[in-house]
Amino acid sequence: MKNYKSLKQVKLPRVGLILLFYLVFYGFLAALFTFTMWVMLQTLSSDIPKYRDRISSPGLMISPKPDTALEFYFNKSDAQSYAEYVSTLRKFLESYDDSKQSQNINCTPGRIFDQNDVAVKKACRFNLSELGQCSGKEDKTFGYSKGTPCVLVKMNRIIGLKPEGEPRIHCTSKEEGMVEINYFPPEGLIDLMYFPYYGKSLHAHYLQPLVAVQLAINSNSTKEEIAIECKILGSPNLKNEDDRDKFLGRIAFKVQMTE
Amino acid sequence: MVKEASEMGSTNSSSKAWHVVYKIIKIWNVMIIEAVPDVHHNTKTLFLLQKKSDVYSVEDLWDKRSRKTDIGDEEEKYKDLKGNKKKKAEDLKKEVELDDHKLSASELEEKYGTSVNKGLSSARAAEILARDGPNSLTPPKATPEIVKFLKQMVGGFSILLWIGAVFSWISFGIQLAQGAESPFDNLYLGVVLALVVILTGIFAYYQEAKSTNIMASFSKMIPQQALVIRDAEKKELPADQLVVGDIVEIKGGDRIPADIRLIFTQGCKVDNSSLTGESEPQSRSCDFTHENPLETRNIAFYSTTCVEGTATGIVINTGDRTVIGRIASLTSGVGNEKTPIAIEIEHFVYLVAGVAISIGVLFFIISVSMRYKILDSIIFLIGIIVANVPEGLLATVTVSLSLTAKRMAKKNCLVKNLEAVETLGSTSIICSDKTGTLTQNRMTVAHLWFDNQIYSADTSEDQTTQPFDQSSPSWTALSKIVTLCNRAEFRPGQENLPIMKRVVVGDASETALLKFAEVILGDVMSIRARNRKVAEIPFNSTNKFQLSIHETDDPNDKRFLLVMKGAPERILERCSTIMINGKEEPLDSEKAEAFQTAYMELGGLGERVLGFCHLYLPEDEFPDTYPFDTDSMNFPTSNLCFVGLLSMIDPPRSTVPDAVSKCRSAGIKVIMVTGDHPITAKAIAKSVGIISATSETVEDIAKRLNIPVEQVNRREATAAVVNGMELKDMSLQQLDEILCNHSEIVFARTSPQQKLIIVEGCQRQGAVVAVTGDGVNDSPALKKADIGIAMGIAGSDAAKNAADMVLLDDNFASIVTGVEEGRLIFDNLKKTIAYTLTKNIAELCPFLIYIIASIPMPIGTITILFIDLGTDIIPSVALAYEKAESDIMNRRPRNKRKDRLVNEQLAVYSYLQIGIMQSVGAFITYFTVYAEQGFLPSTLLGVRVDWENNAINDFEDSYGQQWTKYQRMYLQWTGYTAFFVSITIQQVADLIIRKTRRNSIFQQGLFRNKVIWVGIFSQIGIALILTYGLGHVTALNFTPLRFQYWFVAVPFAILIWVYDEVRKLFIRRYPGSWWDKNMYY
Repeated sequence: MKNYKSLKQVKLPRVGLILLFYLVFYGFLAALFTFTMWVMLQTLSSDIPKYRDRISSPGLMISPKPDTALEFYFNKSDAQSYAEYVSTLRKFLESYDDSKQSQNINCTPGRIFDQNDVAVKKACRFNLSELGQCSGKEDKTFGYSKGTPCVLVKMNRIIGLKPEGEPRIHCTSKEEGMVEINYFPPEGLIDLMYFPYYGKSLHAHYLQPLVAVQLAINSNSTKEEIAIECKILGSPNLKNEDDRDKFLGRIAFKVQMTE
Repeated sequence: MVKEASEMGSTNSSSKAWHVVYKIIKIWNVMIIEAVPDVHHNTKTLFLLQKKSDVYSVEDLWDKRSRKTDIGDEEEKYKDLKGNKKKKAEDLKKEVELDDHKLSASELEEKYGTSVNKGLSSARAAEILARDGPNSLTPPKATPEIVKFLKQMVGGFSILLWIGAVFSWISFGIQLAQGAESPFDNLYLGVVLALVVILTGIFAYYQEAKSTNIMASFSKMIPQQALVIRDAEKKELPADQLVVGDIVEIKGGDRIPADIRLIFTQGCKVDNSSLTGESEPQSRSCDFTHENPLETRNIAFYSTTCVEGTATGIVINTGDRTVIGRIASLTSGVGNEKTPIAIEIEHFVYLVAGVAISIGVLFFIISVSMRYKILDSIIFLIGIIVANVPEGLLATVTVSLSLTAKRMAKKNCLVKNLEAVETLGSTSIICSDKTGTLTQNRMTVAHLWFDNQIYSADTSEDQTTQPFDQSSPSWTALSKIVTLCNRAEFRPGQENLPIMKRVVVGDASETALLKFAEVILGDVMSIRARNRKVAEIPFNSTNKFQLSIHETDDPNDKRFLLVMKGAPERILERCSTIMINGKEEPLDSEKAEAFQTAYMELGGLGERVLGFCHLYLPEDEFPDTYPFDTDSMNFPTSNLCFVGLLSMIDPPRSTVPDAVSKCRSAGIKVIMVTGDHPITAKAIAKSVGIISATSETVEDIAKRLNIPVEQVNRREATAAVVNGMELKDMSLQQLDEILCNHSEIVFARTSPQQKLIIVEGCQRQGAVVAVTGDGVNDSPALKKADIGIAMGIAGSDAAKNAADMVLLDDNFASIVTGVEEGRLIFDNLKKTIAYTLTKNIAELCPFLIYIIASIPMPIGTITILFIDLGTDIIPSVALAYEKAESDIMNRRPRNKRKDRLVNEQLAVYSYLQIGIMQSVGAFITYFTVYAEQGFLPSTLLGVRVDWENNAINDFEDSYGQQWTKYQRMYLQWTGYTAFFVSITIQQVADLIIRKTRRNSIFQQGLFRNKVIWVGIFSQIGIALILTYGLGHVTALNFTPLRFQYWFVAVPFAILIWVYDEVRKLFIRRYPGSWWDKNMYY
């Protein structure tokens, strides 16, 4: 007990001093960290990342994207079973609504829309009508109720990417004769006028071009899993056969429909 | 050596001889008592005696027991002892029946089915050999190799890594069952972790095996041969082939190959020092002289040496059944204490493992409560363990220790157990032998007295001339006696060797005189040839003189010269005249007084004094043809002319005084423990500085103040010379008091058994005790000591077996260089550990921040292993080559309890300061890489779940670009590589700052330790190879990195260096300050 008091007297300032030391030490380090990060961020442009070599070629992605990997399971007579897909599509296409594209201009199809010299980058208009039956205008269920589900295929945005040739989306099914595939726009073409992309801050209203793939599932192929693979074709600078990256210029998904 | 001739000299040795005998009786008694059951009343004696016979600090235990302070640990020892005792008792029963010394030769022949003349038949010998086994001591039971190997597999951090590996496999199994996409990552990780454990285990095992092999080869260097009569023929056989009943012949210089009952002897003397520690030769005959087999003269014991004469005997015990075999096997029962460095490393492992486990568990709980999946949490746990465990460190420590061991071997310290390297460094008391260790182990003439004057002779190891005044004709006369009255001879064929190195046949004193004469006079053998010897009476203990009669080399002088040497008082009795300046003068009382004074003075120096006299026999009485008869002594042996005195001592090695003073400044107490006479012991102790010039013993003070010893204030005496006889009667408290109160202690006339008591006494003071020893009976003390040091030249195999270290040149000074190396390696290991621990934080922080802030993983588990086992290995070994910062021999030995290898300051400074700085630097690089690729820091926070989702392939960065999973993974690996490179770059700075703990790097010299630079280049080289060479092997998770990212962390590396310089500056500027206390590790 006697010791306790002296211990307290000795230890408290010691502990206090140590705490103070670390407060100063870590405070300094935190300030240094913040400062260094600030300096580093100052060297960056807010429009365009310093390096883009890690994404030289775009990946493909679909919408809707099911939760469980990339597999669609639905019953065409049960609206509940595909309600999520439909609502996802609807949400996704909201930004393509004509009302939202009022600022967008009509560009010249088939040509790269180069705006390097322009300070304010314009976005090209993508008419939903190009998606035909998959635009959701005529068929509010995007064909899910009729056994002809739509899947939107889009190419990842990459700043400055200028596809060569005539890029188009082409899908195949391993199981032949089970499904008939229709594309909107026809042949799955992706128009060059939507490229290049100038980045989020410069190109705020940019809409990436979409290709809708309508799968008319053969009535006797219901209940079977149909594997579909979509690829970008027709453009020499868009890779679609990388060994390691299964989504580079291609995407594979499965559809299983019941009645 | 000193003792051999003591009968001749001034120091009376009868009490000592008795002491030896007494001790042997005690050994024997114990054996007998132990063999008899139910000797309750004897228990106390038994315990007391047992200690003498063997090994254990029983008395100590007993006292503690009777005081009822049963400390668990001690209790355990006690139990252990009891168990042992039962077994021993059974073993020893057979020994009690030993009565071979009482039997006659013919009875023995009958008993062993042998014949003294013909020996055993080969067939019979083979039979017995098959029955009894070879005549060699069973080496201490070795742990099976596989057990040793498995121990390495589970020791240290291995358990943690095994846990990591098992968790990896479990999560692999779960993921596989769940059908996840890339479960094999975890399988590989588990395999890699297991490989790491197995490889470091194999490495450690290999290191241990290597050092064990050195010892094995050491003891097998000289196979012993024995001359045996078998099939009526004399044969040379390897000694281990001997069997009971064999007839063996031994001669001077041989080691006795087994316990032998002598049946024929001729002037046989044996040196029982390997058994008793007393090197005084004892004569052996065929007569049954004592009931006790250990005391009777007709038995010679295994491993003792025949000094002179020849003998033939029947082998009565072989191998482990010999007396020495039993002592040796009992010794191996003494448990090995853990070495200080082993304790330190264990402490360190506990510390790090504790940190690893507590952080691991803490974050497991955090991640579970943050709704991470259990599986993910387990994977985090693995990462945290891997980041926290310095995988390569234990291997590095082993390498550093073995590097030092190699360096020490070059300086004649052969280390058996790697850890002993450091133990030597923490030594606070050295109990050193005198003979051979502190001294040159050979008698050398130190002083002369003639013409009423004392002259000093040169006693150094490499004397070629003697500086004293040799002009007096008395010296000419004296030198003639020295030369002629001497039976020692050089072995032929050594003409090219320096005189001091030549081998001589003859006893120690005669050897000293021979060499002394050879140095001054040159070719002694030809002088002797010119002065032909016509008669001789060798030395014997009744006469206490040696005499010979020679023709003179002067062709005109036909007289015979009678020369005599011996115990000075006996010689003086026979003299009537004394030679002064070449002239004979009558020996009056005044001259006798002068003689007495000189004799006392030389004797007081602890030197063995011999008197020399001569007489020219009158030509008419003793013509050319006079038949000298040594039996009837038909010539005068009195009224001779006294010429002078020579005194001899086994002089200290010339390097020892310096070494002792080094020990003193290093805070190491040197205690001399010797079987020698106190006066000699004290003289040597004074001459080497164990007792410094100014300090006094109680007796000295009493003499100075002229008061009785009892009245002296014992505290005033800094030095003490304790006689073995006093020690015997001392209680433990009294011994402790002596060890405590006197800084300079000499134990004289001690037995090797008492050495054990002294060692234990020192250990009770909390000291780390180093003990030197050579005899078999030293082995308990060697084992008990924290570090046992056996003599490489004079040491017995048993001593070498029990020791941790072998001193190849038997030189005390080598111990001191060993201490220096040991201290250096302790300091350097601190640096190595500090270096290694630092980056653990930089490896750990990524996991913690990954879990808390959900950023993409900054560094992978595999990458961490590449740092721990790749880039960091060579640099951390390089620190073992660092030179000492200041004179490490000027500070006190480290306090076992306080000066830990890994102390709080070291851990805190490495973990919480430098480690954090490294982490900051590495994180800056990480964020830079991500930001420059499009992911600004703000985007990275909280993205973990989506980032790692395989199904999300349009992950948006800060600029609106979209990334596939693989593109993100590749970026993540680039992040790993950048983080790795940053840690490596900052580890270069860490390596440089760790070169010193107190001094500025510029004081230490940046380029003095070249190996550090090898380390730095290897570090950067390995990093370059990993990033650019193996950057395309995806399994390793390295990617080629933009060159500028190598420099992002450089400012932080410089900051680390500058900060550490400031730290050291403050430590040097303000010693004892708050900063010093908290920042110096």
